[in-house]
Amino acid sequence: MSTIAFRGRARRSSGRVRPAWRQPLALTGSAIAIAWIVIAIFAPLIAPYDPLAQSFPISHPPSSAHLFGTDELGRDILSRVIYGSRVSVPIALLLVACAAMIGGLVGSLAGYFRGIVDGVSMRLVDLFFAFPAIILAMVVAAVLGRGLQNAALAIVVVAWPSYARVVRGLVLSIGDTEYVQSARLLGSSARRTLFRDVLPNVAGPVLVLATLDLANAILLLAGLSFLGLGAQPPQAEWGSMVADGAQYFQWWWIGTFPGLAIFTAVLAFNFLGDSLRDFFDPQTSWGGDDRR
Amino acid sequence: MADSPRVRRRPRPSASFLRFLLGRAVALVLLAVGITLVVFVLTQLVPTNAVATNLGEQAAGDPAAVAAFKAHYGLDKPLPLRYALYLKHLVQGDLGQSSLTHDAVTHDLGQFIPATAELALYSVVIAAFFGISFGVIAAMRRNRPVDHALRVVSLGGISMPTFWIALVALYVGFFKLGWFPGADRLDPGVLPPPHKTGLYTIDALLAGDWGLFGQALHHLVLPALVLAAFSIGLLTRYTRSAVLEVIGNDYVRAARAKGLPERIVVTRYILRAALPSVVTVLGLVFANVLTGAVLVEKIFSWPGIGQYAYQAAVNLDVPAIAGVSLFVAIVYITVNFIVDVLYGVIDPRIRVR
Repeated sequence: MSTIAFRGRARRSSGRVRPAWRQPLALTGSAIAIAWIVIAIFAPLIAPYDPLAQSFPISHPPSSAHLFGTDELGRDILSRVIYGSRVSVPIALLLVACAAMIGGLVGSLAGYFRGIVDGVSMRLVDLFFAFPAIILAMVVAAVLGRGLQNAALAIVVVAWPSYARVVRGLVLSIGDTEYVQSARLLGSSARRTLFRDVLPNVAGPVLVLATLDLANAILLLAGLSFLGLGAQPPQAEWGSMVADGAQYFQWWWIGTFPGLAIFTAVLAFNFLGDSLRDFFDPQTSWGGDDRR
Repeated sequence: MADSPRVRRRPRPSASFLRFLLGRAVALVLLAVGITLVVFVLTQLVPTNAVATNLGEQAAGDPAAVAAFKAHYGLDKPLPLRYALYLKHLVQGDLGQSSLTHDAVTHDLGQFIPATAELALYSVVIAAFFGISFGVIAAMRRNRPVDHALRVVSLGGISMPTFWIALVALYVGFFKLGWFPGADRLDPGVLPPPHKTGLYTIDALLAGDWGLFGQALHHLVLPALVLAAFSIGLLTRYTRSAVLEVIGNDYVRAARAKGLPERIVVTRYILRAALPSVVTVLGLVFANVLTGAVLVEKIFSWPGIGQYAYQAAVNLDVPAIAGVSLFVAIVYITVNFIVDVLYGVIDPRIRVR
């Protein structure tokens, strides 16, 4: 298993920010991401109809009254897609933050204390890495019971180990660099070194990982909901809406539009994360390590 | 990573290699034991009445049957003992009985694995072909329009929800155009080829039945392509960065200076050095394919292990879901072990880590 993605490179001078118009990927990514966040916040104002109201003709193809059509129960799909952002986006943000905190804590403890702490926690990480994410998430979601909360919890269980591994590697390699060693020799305290020299170098890669992980989290959450292990009907959630579309196959609009919503949201965070990685690791630019 | 010209040496198992192999094997076994522990703990957390679900109502009313069931699975004993018993059953190849199919889980797995294996095999081949080609092209044309286009394509590939693209592909390819068959591994009513490997394409070839081979292949194309999409994106990215790491080396420049044709430089000098680090992500690709299989199989009604896992998870069929996750995890760590060892064989420097 190779995780050599982020070398603990002391990046001091290379961080020149290219003008925004030179980075179409970052620009597009942030535009779409911000759009989805705005949509999520103002969903009640934007959505033309109540997402749960079954008050329209059943399975009506896209028209001027219903831009995305209506589903098999006569609900307006556009409104459901808009409300769906209120599920996926905030939950993904929250669970990535949780995973990064748990993983970051475990990783920095392992990298700092080394020895037995390191050994035990990294074996634990290996153990979690041994299960493909969706299988583990499926088991956890099944064990805890179906529902959005449990699906989110399952994804945190799946997501934290990658942070632990990356942070540990960084703390280890940065602790060995000459500037940290000399800072220690000059009498700077362990805590000061950690905050002054180690943390700033960890922050970048973790930010990259977290942004890419947002994309993964949205995908995984939608996948679990698609399987029926996440959001429960009648809640408007993108993954379960695609599952609806799979049942009413001949009415293509039921599944296509929520799928497009997932795709654009995930793409936005992948664009952003990839641009961030270019910024922090310009040597080979795009391409590196991520796990699903 | 791999950035120096490899000196051709006779492969002989040195002491350092044996030590490396032994270390990895020990880690593999420990990991496998850890996996059984995780799976065991997870199954113990499930809030269901194992007796009722496994025996059915009638038998559950019979105290003798209940006692026999509890004794067999050690449900009347404390946790550590139950774990020991679980391990004992495991060694004997007893994964319990599925409460859904009322068959032994091992029997079910044997039935469903070949379908997934065949799907995974084809999609890994497709992903490797396109992903590696795209990655090489992108790296050779770094920062040119092709490179940027491939970057967007590969990001698109890893951003597409597999289940959604499967749905769209099925709608267009089957429902609208009618170019591909809809579901399952063969047309309705067609008998599978005589069972040898369980992979229909290979079994059909072994039986010399070309028509059946074509049909099985036809059924495979769409799901395998859909399943490969994510891995193509991933492999493009890895291959590109691996190629970029070797492309600036002196020996590559020397090969060019010698006047070797570009084709030879790319295949013999650049790819040879870059591929080992690409091989290391094949484990990752494999995990992705298994993950995607769970979702794709549902859409294509593919009778594979993903469908089985899904049914088990939804119906709280504990022995089945435990068996599937155990199997998948063991396969996954074994693949990673093989990849690790291969990498150690190819690149001796890795052994001392």
